[in-house]
Amino acid sequence: MKRIIILLIISLLVPSLAYAGLKVVATLPWIGSLAKEIAKDRIEITTLIKPNQDPHYAEPKPSMILAARKADIIMFNGLDLEIGYLPRIIESSNNPKIQPGQKGYFDCSKFITPIEKPITLDRSMGDVHPLGNPHYHFSPENVFKVAEGMASLLSDIDPDNATFYQKNLQVFKERLEEKKRQWSSLALKGKRYISYHKLFEYMAEEFGFQIIAYIEPKPGIPPSAGHIDKLVDIIKDKKPDAILITAVAGKKEADSIRQRTGVRVIVLPHDVGVEKGIEDWFSMIDEALTRLHKGNN
Amino acid sequence: MKHVKIFLFVIFALSISAKSYGADIESRLKALEETIKQQAKTIEEQQRVIDELKKELNNLGQKEMVKADEKPVEIPKTQKISGLFGSSALTNPNISLVLNTFAYSSNLNQSELEIRNIPGYIKEGIEFRKGFNLESAELYLFAPVDPYFNLYATIPVSEEGAEIEEAYFVTTSLPAGFQIKGGKFKSGFGRINAQHPHYWDFVDIPLPYKAFLGSEGISEKGMQLTYLPKFPFYTLLGAEILQGENEILFGPDAKAGPHAYTVFAKASFDLTENSTILLGPSLMKGKTKTDSITEGYEFKGSSTLYGFEFTSKWKPSKKQSFTLQSEYLYRRQEGELEGVNKELPDPILKTLRRAQDGLYFQGIYQLGRWRIGARYEVLDLFKKDYVLDGEHISFGTKPWRASGIMDFKPSEFSQIRLQYNHDKSARNGKTNHELFLQLVFGIGAHSAHPF
Repeated sequence: MKRIIILLIISLLVPSLAYAGLKVVATLPWIGSLAKEIAKDRIEITTLIKPNQDPHYAEPKPSMILAARKADIIMFNGLDLEIGYLPRIIESSNNPKIQPGQKGYFDCSKFITPIEKPITLDRSMGDVHPLGNPHYHFSPENVFKVAEGMASLLSDIDPDNATFYQKNLQVFKERLEEKKRQWSSLALKGKRYISYHKLFEYMAEEFGFQIIAYIEPKPGIPPSAGHIDKLVDIIKDKKPDAILITAVAGKKEADSIRQRTGVRVIVLPHDVGVEKGIEDWFSMIDEALTRLHKGNN
Repeated sequence: MKHVKIFLFVIFALSISAKSYGADIESRLKALEETIKQQAKTIEEQQRVIDELKKELNNLGQKEMVKADEKPVEIPKTQKISGLFGSSALTNPNISLVLNTFAYSSNLNQSELEIRNIPGYIKEGIEFRKGFNLESAELYLFAPVDPYFNLYATIPVSEEGAEIEEAYFVTTSLPAGFQIKGGKFKSGFGRINAQHPHYWDFVDIPLPYKAFLGSEGISEKGMQLTYLPKFPFYTLLGAEILQGENEILFGPDAKAGPHAYTVFAKASFDLTENSTILLGPSLMKGKTKTDSITEGYEFKGSSTLYGFEFTSKWKPSKKQSFTLQSEYLYRRQEGELEGVNKELPDPILKTLRRAQDGLYFQGIYQLGRWRIGARYEVLDLFKKDYVLDGEHISFGTKPWRASGIMDFKPSEFSQIRLQYNHDKSARNGKTNHELFLQLVFGIGAHSAHPF
């Protein structure tokens, strides 16, 4: 009898002791997806922000704090994109592994070169990000650097699987090189667009198109009727190729501008998982570039 | 003949000169050709430069078209910070200032407001002045101390001066899901208490809080321990040991040394991807010595406050959300009531037992930058015992209040709010129709939002 009880206790304890892989919390879907490319089944990933949410305006739900409590690593976009909720999640997690300065505190923006870093700044300019434009996930160059960073962090924390992570990084790199060749054949150079938010600047820089105006008068501030009138004039004068919006922001405004000017509206995926078929970072970029390309024909 | 000679000579001379002239032309032409070639090259070169410049200009133009005032210029990575204190600018704490100001209007006159208490609960009247009020300019400082602690301070500055509402450290490196907070801080009792007033959905604190803890809630010197276990759902367990100086519940000198204790538990579930509930009980206990109950008397005894909180939030997108929030508070108090009139030879001493409760319930709907909301608060809900020397005392009808708000947030950092209170908290006394127009502004470091 005693033996049975001891066995029972052991069997209860064992699963919790068994190595279940690293627990990674990612704030945004593309970060989770990228980590999955590098680590596959060796990590268990939880994504805090759902694809249909705007990453600027999330709230620290208790369930997010609980996920952070259980995490070995927290991976986030950085450049103040998650400033409204992440500091509270990290502090309230009561988890020493993911505090700033620890290995488990993984700021993806550490590996990239931000653009549009303002020299002078105050909030009369809207919710400008003082550290630079945070939407670098549209930049293949930068995303590859983040992937490299992830592979070296994972190899460091989990050396047993280091070769596995490095091998996956190599596969990712080869796929990226091949994709880059495909992407460069899409003629986007010199195209001019209007965008709702400052979201596609990195992509514009790498693929040679231009964003000539924004529906938001200032980042984070919805447009007034007067600003829309001004945009209509700009569109009639400059004849941009299209207005770029996302599924979460800008549809109403873009539709009304289309009615007044006949300009095309292109809905671009802003993150992994926003639509069916956009399952990973590659398909997000693929889809975005294809839509830009098709929109021009 | 002479003429012929001269003629021949001339022809000869001419032919020679022509020959040399021809050679000259040839070389000049060649030189010219060379020059033209060179020039063409130069022009080509220049054209290339012009094209490049044009491209750059285009890029610049595109960037500047919308924001001429926000030139995105890269700061060189090696930029040096100089000055007497060098890099200390980079290690400054984060600072923000929140201005909370409102205009107040009521059908009662100022002297009626000052004596407008809640009979059977507190003798304190309404502090607001008719007209413009400066609630506070709240200075908020925070930064990590080192890899082991974060430090926070909240210093509201009002016309009476500055006070330290909160100044506390939080540990960041304790193992096993524990965290210690120490210093002076807002107690984790209940939901609304730990929130800063400018985050409240209404200008004023709900009636049960006002009656049991005062219009600012409870902020005390002490220590807090919280534990967040790795359960399948969020569960936070907390305990506090506090000095116990809250003017309403304990009184500033109820007992030397810490004598108040709090325990609380909060659990949360995500019902769907977009809806979350948070609920849990709280308890606070301590010694009491206060003159806030009724004019001319001091109460000595002990108090226990029980609370239960419930919040349900539905937020399908940033564009809209709906929040329901409710808290129930129940307070038991036992002790003696003593007259403080020293002219009496023998101050009257009576036993007092109070067992009273209250509840508030509110709903807020947000659409874009607009929010509307309603709140209902009531005291004497299930229990209204006020027993003096064994005799039940009745103070009249149930105190209650109903409020409505509408607010607009031009940006994340500013808010304009209109609030109406239909206030029957003075029981059989006059109804107080209150109107608030509140403005809240925040500048400086971006602090995180609460859930």
